[in-house]
Amino acid sequence: MQADQNLDCKGLSCPMPIIKLAKTIKKMNSGEVLEMLGTDPGSKTDVPAWCEKTGNVFLEQSEEGGTYKFYIKKK
Amino acid sequence: MFKKGVLRELFDSLFGKSWPMWVGGILLAMMNILLFVIKYPWGSSSGYTNIGQNLFQILGVTSLGTKVPISLHAVALLNIFVVVGAFVSSLFSREFGIRISPVGELVKGFVGGALMAIGATVGAGCTTGGFFTGLAALSGGALTLAAGFMIGTFVALRYLLWEMEALPNISMGKSFTFLIGTGKKTGWQRWLGWIMIAVVFFLFSTYTASSSGAMKIIGWHVMIGLILGMILQRSRYCIVRAFREPFMTGEATAPVAIILSILVSLVGFTVIKYFGVGNAGELATCAIEMKAVYANFWLRALIGGIIFGLGMTVAGGCAVGTLWRAGEGHVKLWMAALGFVIMAPVSKGFIVPAVKKILPESMQKHLFLPDILGYTGAVVLVLFILLLWFMFAKWNEKTGKFSAI
Repeated sequence: MQADQNLDCKGLSCPMPIIKLAKTIKKMNSGEVLEMLGTDPGSKTDVPAWCEKTGNVFLEQSEEGGTYKFYIKKK
Repeated sequence: MFKKGVLRELFDSLFGKSWPMWVGGILLAMMNILLFVIKYPWGSSSGYTNIGQNLFQILGVTSLGTKVPISLHAVALLNIFVVVGAFVSSLFSREFGIRISPVGELVKGFVGGALMAIGATVGAGCTTGGFFTGLAALSGGALTLAAGFMIGTFVALRYLLWEMEALPNISMGKSFTFLIGTGKKTGWQRWLGWIMIAVVFFLFSTYTASSSGAMKIIGWHVMIGLILGMILQRSRYCIVRAFREPFMTGEATAPVAIILSILVSLVGFTVIKYFGVGNAGELATCAIEMKAVYANFWLRALIGGIIFGLGMTVAGGCAVGTLWRAGEGHVKLWMAALGFVIMAPVSKGFIVPAVKKILPESMQKHLFLPDILGYTGAVVLVLFILLLWFMFAKWNEKTGKFSAI
């Protein structure tokens, strides 16, 4: 998937990934896609929950070697 | 007898996906009631203090040390086996991994842990023993402690948001991950989980084989610690979130889970206190009633709560949240545990006596709510406060009035 913006949250634990995610999305334009990387297992549920709460579109999630990759489209 | 694979199916349903936090809340409340029946309900900070005192004892600083070894301190062991339980559970669910965050985050972990130690020793209780257990135990101090947590969390969250803008480098930089549970050649991790469980069963049987009642109690703390750790990791139960989320994302998931957990505990604890259940031979009913009424009503608990709230938000886990995340492999929380362990005896030795001296007696007493309101009044008050909290969390979830992001 093609992303317009990248965010690296590897090594960070709750609540830093969500704070960074919110800050990054805020600066993006509507319809743009963010690729977020993280290693906190909590992000697997936190990121989709935050998207649902804020109305941003949670597109996809994958995992490789302990790194979670999320794609989020700004509403 | 069984179709092939049903055990595997059971295992996968327990460890394949996270449990809803409210499920964890109910299960933890039931374990907390069991702990109360065995001896004291769930607490954590006194265990950190004991571990720290043992560390100082080994280092030869006997003025901050203790003669009670970790192996005979029920709460210290409970803490250690919560870490073990979370470790086992994260191995089973393939979520274990040693995650080293950037240096700035590690420092925040340590400072957060140290602040939690000061807060817990000054206020006489943390989010678990002082608040979660304390409120269910009808402690007046639990209420002022909670007010303190709310203030501390709010301020620390503002700091984190400011830090993100003004000092973004703190949470940036090199990070490392090792021993991740997913991918090829990681089957040994699940086997290691089973070995850890076998070790816990061995320790449990060793303690409970003793003729001493105290040793049997300790044995049960080892076993319940393992179970608590597993429930905590699977449900990602987090009291910090209950205080922080309304001000951060506005989600009400964590407050609802913690409210439910306190409700279940409240029923069990009130029955135990009302009837004076447990240890009847050793203790008078009034002594049982005062169990878990630790937090010092009112100003001392408020001050302790504010400092603890700052610490837990900066560290990203309260006393118990630090333990289970440490078991999952987050090195930032290892630093928080270290900060807590080192600072707790220091605070107990130097800061607490000073606070005790400065504050008037009326601002630091143990208040059992039924003593002034009767059992009915006390339970109704706690129910009313839980209802208010619930309404606030749900209203804020909908309107986002207090949420910053």
